[in-house]
Amino acid sequence: MPAEEMSKLTGRTRLIFAASSVVFLVVLAISPFKDFRREWKQYKRSYLRFAQGRADTKKLLADYHPDIDQIWLPEMNVVDRCTTCHQGMTQASLADRAVPRAFRAHPPIPHNVRDWGCTVCHRGQGPATEVAEAHESTLAWEQPILPTRFIQASCGTCHYADLPETPQLTRGRELLAELNCQGCHRLPGIERSAMLGPDLTNIGTKVKFRLSETELRGLSGYLSIQKAQAVVPYKIDARVVGVWSNNPELISQGELRFRQMFCSTCHSLAVTRAGEIKLIGGDIGPELTKVGSKVNPDWLIAWLRDPQDYLSHTRMPRYGWSDEDLYKVTQYITTKLTDSDLLTGVPQLGQPTEQEIQLGHRLFLEKGCASCHSIQGLNPQKDFGPDLSALGGKNASDLEFGVAKIPHNLVAYIQAKLQDPTSVNAAARMPQYNWNQSDLDAITTALLSMKGPPATSALENLVVPSKKAVFHPMGAFGEVYERYKCYTCHKFNGYGGDLAPDLTYEGSRAQRGWLVEFLKNPQTLRPTLILRMPQFNMTDKEAATLADYMVMVLQHPAANPARIDAKQFTPAMVALGKQLYEVKYQCQACHTIGGTGGYVGPNLNNAGGWLTAAWIEAWLRNPHALVPNTIEPRRNFTEDEVRALTAYLMTLRQSISPQKTASTNARHVATQGSGR
Amino acid sequence: MAATLHSALQNLRETKVWKSIFRRGPANTNRTRSIAVFGNLFLHWLPVKVREKSLRVRASYYLGSISFILFIVLFVTGILLMFYYHPAVPHAYRDMKDLQFVVANGIFLRNLHRLAAHLMVFAVFWHMFHVFYRGGYKPPHEFNWVVGVVLLLVTLFLSYTGYLLPWDQLAFWAVTVGTNIISAMPVVGNKTRFLLLGGNIVGENALLRFYVLHVVILPLLAFLLIGIHFWRVQKDGGLTARSKGDDGKE
Repeated sequence: MPAEEMSKLTGRTRLIFAASSVVFLVVLAISPFKDFRREWKQYKRSYLRFAQGRADTKKLLADYHPDIDQIWLPEMNVVDRCTTCHQGMTQASLADRAVPRAFRAHPPIPHNVRDWGCTVCHRGQGPATEVAEAHESTLAWEQPILPTRFIQASCGTCHYADLPETPQLTRGRELLAELNCQGCHRLPGIERSAMLGPDLTNIGTKVKFRLSETELRGLSGYLSIQKAQAVVPYKIDARVVGVWSNNPELISQGELRFRQMFCSTCHSLAVTRAGEIKLIGGDIGPELTKVGSKVNPDWLIAWLRDPQDYLSHTRMPRYGWSDEDLYKVTQYITTKLTDSDLLTGVPQLGQPTEQEIQLGHRLFLEKGCASCHSIQGLNPQKDFGPDLSALGGKNASDLEFGVAKIPHNLVAYIQAKLQDPTSVNAAARMPQYNWNQSDLDAITTALLSMKGPPATSALENLVVPSKKAVFHPMGAFGEVYERYKCYTCHKFNGYGGDLAPDLTYEGSRAQRGWLVEFLKNPQTLRPTLILRMPQFNMTDKEAATLADYMVMVLQHPAANPARIDAKQFTPAMVALGKQLYEVKYQCQACHTIGGTGGYVGPNLNNAGGWLTAAWIEAWLRNPHALVPNTIEPRRNFTEDEVRALTAYLMTLRQSISPQKTASTNARHVATQGSGR
Repeated sequence: MAATLHSALQNLRETKVWKSIFRRGPANTNRTRSIAVFGNLFLHWLPVKVREKSLRVRASYYLGSISFILFIVLFVTGILLMFYYHPAVPHAYRDMKDLQFVVANGIFLRNLHRLAAHLMVFAVFWHMFHVFYRGGYKPPHEFNWVVGVVLLLVTLFLSYTGYLLPWDQLAFWAVTVGTNIISAMPVVGNKTRFLLLGGNIVGENALLRFYVLHVVILPLLAFLLIGIHFWRVQKDGGLTARSKGDDGKE
């Protein structure tokens, strides 16, 4: 190669080398530059400027350092770098809304943010130091920040017990249990209630079947032959019935009895008021507006007489009806509570064919009816619906969205599925429920709280187990207690319904005599309530059994009968007590005596005939020791004042003669009725 | 200026320190230059003389050198990555996150390693095709061709073992599928798979084994084979020039 050509080559090579070196250097310099401009460093600098512009700079910058800040909780597998940017998290002075959102203080919560980190409750990607990576769903992270309206779900991941601070979560869990979701799905911690759908073993005796279309014909044909345990209809003497049925006021008397028994405490009826249809009554039992079109009259008599005979786990109490009442109320229900339009033009179902029954049987199993409704001898399919025990921790990529046009994230999926199961999966067998928004959010919250077993064994220690109290005593009391289903409305030691007062310490509170009278003829202490204790028509013996048990067992340790003796009360004490009540402490602001006073607290007209002296005394000392969440304020009465007020209150007695009469009548009726 | 630099270098070569390190003074003649190359650990496997033609871009496209430089880049960035990486199930993926979110220039480091690895596979393949189509495997280069093929396999294994280390879904399933393919081999398939994974599933043992293969065994093997490969290039007469045809032209 000639020398000049050679030098040309070297010259060009050198040029290429020089140029590529410069390019290489520039490329290398990009990385440190980008490193300097990282999002979290910008947040650090901007917090520094923000703090310097405020009066409390020194406090705000007390533990400021320009590096990454992290909360590391090895036992919980948590590395949260959120506080790198959210630097004002624990600064009380930054709670103001004017403070930029990133630096605002965390609202007060029962846990210390520094001890628990952020992602335990809020989800998101803790180790991330970039806004998008930390908050959103990205290619490498599918647990975005949980929307704040479902935040209670996070409480539920550790607190299996219900908390007073998380009503939405509690409501969601109640809904899961109430709707019997665990009939088809695996849902840990949700107790399968005995209240499934109605038992259909003898449905053929209960319902009037009239349906037409093929599938419905099959299903109703199948159900109409379910008469496994042929119920012997309860026969009332035909002659007596003949006399009763001639009574022109039969129906109106039936309606009156229906009201007197306070059926509306549990059952509602639709009423049209000002052009608007409203349900009046409780929701413990089914709505009865059109029940007359549904059930057979013979079945209804048998049911009202002894509901537990047809359905052993029913919440309906067994009332002591007289035959006459039973007949009248049945007549009222079957003639008045009907829907005249419902069954027009629909033929009565004739004898179903064998094919129809086969079709119905197959449908009943395939559609999952057996998960909620039992038919004796028919086993529900196991694991009919998907296991939901770890649903709350699922990634969007684990879920099938089908053709649904919804954002691909867990919350959107759960809500779409709940609102219309077929929207995400056309073949879904799950029934469609009619939710209102708050119930939808509550049940979403409860489902989001189910994140499966903790990821590390150390986390198990953080789980607060749920303690489900059960109170089903044995013996004579237990028998009456089950018969009248006291626990449907009343609470006993944390077990039971919320409708009526908690009876855990009723034995300390009320006098035995009062209890017996009340049980036989419940008249509510707060007359403004719509839902009242039903008239059970109890016998003397039953009332006595209940009262004896309560007085013996349902006692509060703070109410000690030995501390006070009603015999030592003197008229002087009574006078002092009256004066304290009326003048010094002005109790009449909330309580009524003799027609004057407030309605916030209970009426005290009959305090002396109702409450025990020990209870009044303990109550006056410290009401919160007896009922922790009562609104009665605690007053620092002196020893003498307590005794004087007790003495005064114990003198308050009201003659209850009008009720006495009613109660005697009721007893009269009860003994007359042979339906017991 | 060039002259001053030249004379300064000349003076440096005369110093005692230089001589003690390189065992000789300035190499002024072809003979002393050859001896200097032979006498140096790092140079002795390179040819003492190269033909000017073989330095032309079109002669080799520098594919071998590019592969080697990429290997050095991978070696350096790999060592830096090892400072941040734990080959254990609870840590591996979290270390990826830390590289992304916390380590200064961490994402650059990781991407450099990854891109260099992709490029190296590409360069090595191109190198092989080039040698093949230019007839570089012909005598006396048969052995070096074989070494080259083994080096290609080592490169691929390095790439494959490194793929598992981020311990993400992609890695897990890639290795699951890959090792299932191995188990399809007759007779020894399942045993080989078991040996490779240290078990029957892609778990913590597999991660550890792949890590040891990736950072110790395969790089050592690669260095050894690269040494042999370079040395044989020189011993076999330098880069393959096209053998002269019957007409005496190249």
